[in-house]
Amino acid sequence: MPDGENVAALDVTLHTIDGLVLVEFEPLELSRTNSDAAPMSFATRVQPDYYAIIKKTVTRLQLAITLQQFCQVLADEVSLLSGMERVIIYKFHADQHGEVVAESLLGDQPPWLGLHYPAEDIPKPARDMFAKTWIRPVPDTNVALAEMTPLLNADTGKPLDMTHCALRGVSLLYTEYLKNMGVLAGLTMALRRGNELWGLITCHHYSGPRAVPYQLRAACEFLAQVGSLQLQAVEDRENAAYRIKLEEVNQQLLTMAAQEGGLASITDGQPSLLGAMHASGAALFHRDRWWRLGQTPDEIQLEGLAAWLMAHLHTNSLTDSVYATESLVADYPPAAAFSHVASGLLVAPLSYSGQNLIMWFRPEVIQTVNWGGDPHDKPMVSSPFGIRRMPRRSFERFTESVRHHAFPWLQVEIDAAARLRSLIMELVIVRAERMAGLNADLARSNEELDAFAYVASHDLKEPLRGIHKYAHQLMEAASGDEEEKRRLNGLMRLTLRMDTLLDSLLHFSRVGREDLTLEKIDLNDVLADAIEMVSSRTSDSRKQIAAPRPLPQIVGDRVRVREVLVNLLSNGLKYNDKENKRVEVGFIEAHESSLRSNFPESSNGHTVYYVRDNGIGIAPRHFEQVFKIFKRLHGREEYGGGAGAGLTIVKKLVERHRGQVWPAVGAEDSTGSTGSTFFFTLNAMDEN
Amino acid sequence: MPAPISSSLAESILVVEDSDEDFDTLVEAARGLGETRTIHRALSGGDCLALLRGEGGTHQAPLSLLPSLIFMDLNSHGVDGREALVVIKSEPRLKEIPLVILTTSANPKDLTFCYQAGANAYHVKPVRHDHYLLLLRSILHYWLESATLQHLMAEAN
Repeated sequence: MPDGENVAALDVTLHTIDGLVLVEFEPLELSRTNSDAAPMSFATRVQPDYYAIIKKTVTRLQLAITLQQFCQVLADEVSLLSGMERVIIYKFHADQHGEVVAESLLGDQPPWLGLHYPAEDIPKPARDMFAKTWIRPVPDTNVALAEMTPLLNADTGKPLDMTHCALRGVSLLYTEYLKNMGVLAGLTMALRRGNELWGLITCHHYSGPRAVPYQLRAACEFLAQVGSLQLQAVEDRENAAYRIKLEEVNQQLLTMAAQEGGLASITDGQPSLLGAMHASGAALFHRDRWWRLGQTPDEIQLEGLAAWLMAHLHTNSLTDSVYATESLVADYPPAAAFSHVASGLLVAPLSYSGQNLIMWFRPEVIQTVNWGGDPHDKPMVSSPFGIRRMPRRSFERFTESVRHHAFPWLQVEIDAAARLRSLIMELVIVRAERMAGLNADLARSNEELDAFAYVASHDLKEPLRGIHKYAHQLMEAASGDEEEKRRLNGLMRLTLRMDTLLDSLLHFSRVGREDLTLEKIDLNDVLADAIEMVSSRTSDSRKQIAAPRPLPQIVGDRVRVREVLVNLLSNGLKYNDKENKRVEVGFIEAHESSLRSNFPESSNGHTVYYVRDNGIGIAPRHFEQVFKIFKRLHGREEYGGGAGAGLTIVKKLVERHRGQVWPAVGAEDSTGSTGSTFFFTLNAMDEN
Repeated sequence: MPAPISSSLAESILVVEDSDEDFDTLVEAARGLGETRTIHRALSGGDCLALLRGEGGTHQAPLSLLPSLIFMDLNSHGVDGREALVVIKSEPRLKEIPLVILTTSANPKDLTFCYQAGANAYHVKPVRHDHYLLLLRSILHYWLESATLQHLMAEAN
């Protein structure tokens, strides 16, 4: 070492390697050969206060809420500290492909921010090195490498391990790449989360060589280490913020689902299923139809997917959880047809039957990212690690590896889907419980009412019989006074009318209370019996009851179904002023949709029976009233009289068969008169 | 402890009926037929059983002989007609006496219960007085004149 001459001060670094001592000498100041106008004279005299600089930087890093902000602060601070003209934060994705997530430019170099690069741009040996080394400088890409002498450790005969040496040369290929890009000096630092290499801080200098002195390098290294330590925290902060946002939207979605609009409102309301979740499309299957939002597969594709999902979820016992994939094609090959919109799929099944599903979709990565150069456009690719020729085959191999892949779902997203699922299912359960409670109350009060009606009418009969008897006896003993006889007759007539009412009430209450005897019955036989009963009751001459086609076999209570028919048939004949009274009994099957206009939704999927007459008809405004007990639309003595309980009993009997009955206008005949039609369903079989 | 009443049958009718009007109607029907047998009345099922055991009833002196026909109303206070029916039809000494249910109830459950317990007939009381009389006359005629009964056959031998 020359002594006393005009030699700049040096940094000296000592390494002990395999029993050897390795000494590195570096200039203390930034190299004079760089293009900075002013000589870096301070370096020899006053060292910058790196502690103060770093302290400020750390504070700024801690204030960053999002990972994006954090990376930008890091890039800006490294730029300030090192004076390098391009500083980028390069993040490795799960599949090792890289993305420029932050950039700080001092000159007018073209920006690389947002560009993605294939994994092979940074080969595995380079990544492995940065797992061990924090910093790697390239002070001057034009300086030829000097060979270490001797090459082998004289003691061990092995090559000297210079991993930790600052002045160790970098690969020729690398410097070649840098030179091709016009980069004259480089500096790269590792960003690690735990023990894994998370990304790199890469600095390029274009205006001249730039040797970063030891102190400054140490500061940069320290910054990389601080950045690494904070990564986990900032990712946690970002996740926490995302988690809060997702939960907030989940709660809003639940509130919407609980209100009038029902579940479907979570697809068209504000916020929607896409309110917080980072997905490009969502779909809800609910009430036998799809509700789509954003970019989704079409409904036919969704049908196929849902069918596969239910089978898949069942066989994999995942029904109590959510299903998430970043490459649906791997599990479900038909998804290849729509992988551009749904390579990533997150599913929250809302019921075991698959009747309700929520899905979120993510497009194929290749569709969304800005690739740092496509060899189809230009064979030369500019990347943080150099411009190089990218062979077509290699690019194709690379695109193949990311084909049908979406960005993976984060744990917070999977958790949020599971959370929304449980919130909605809770809501469903709460509703079901409330409904069950109401049903139980209703059943109880119905039973009490029936029992009351039965006892009351029964107990009312005894005194009624007594009253009638005395009236009868008075009548027999009456003198010839016509007025007295008229009054006593009236008294007897009223007691008999009351008797009829009580009988109807008794019968009605019994209809509600007694168990059904369910068996397979042939409706043709039942109709034949009913016709016989009706015929024996009415002496009407010109009447015709017909079924246009044979009726099916059903499960029901023979006696009760017959009573339904008897009541409807006799009404059809009774409330009929035609000379030729006609009643038609038929049925409409579930698939005969053209005949099912204006049918209630709940009759969907069920065979509907009908009794249609050419009688006097019922005005639609009276449709509700006809089922009310003792409610008569006509005078007491008109149309043969009657208690007015027939249709009430029909309704009760049909309901006990889990069906419903509703009136409609009947068939129009030549005179323009329509008559009436009673439709009903009998779904007692559904119970089994 | 009263002495057990004789097993040989008196020419009498026992009516279990808590309604005075209905009881009167039955008497009216019987007299209308020219029926001369004694008509005993019990007010409830319990009353009826007491009479058949040789005890006195509410408005009735103890019977010395068993009746040849029993009319039973189902709904009464205390031990009701259903219970009395079951007891009568399970006692060998009593079960051969024709027992006719006469009630307001048209409930199929009551009908089934009574026939299964061994009632000989079940009739619903009509409200119309003339129908009621007609019904009672036909019942009385049937059981007292038309039917050939077990104990009468035995006596004839």
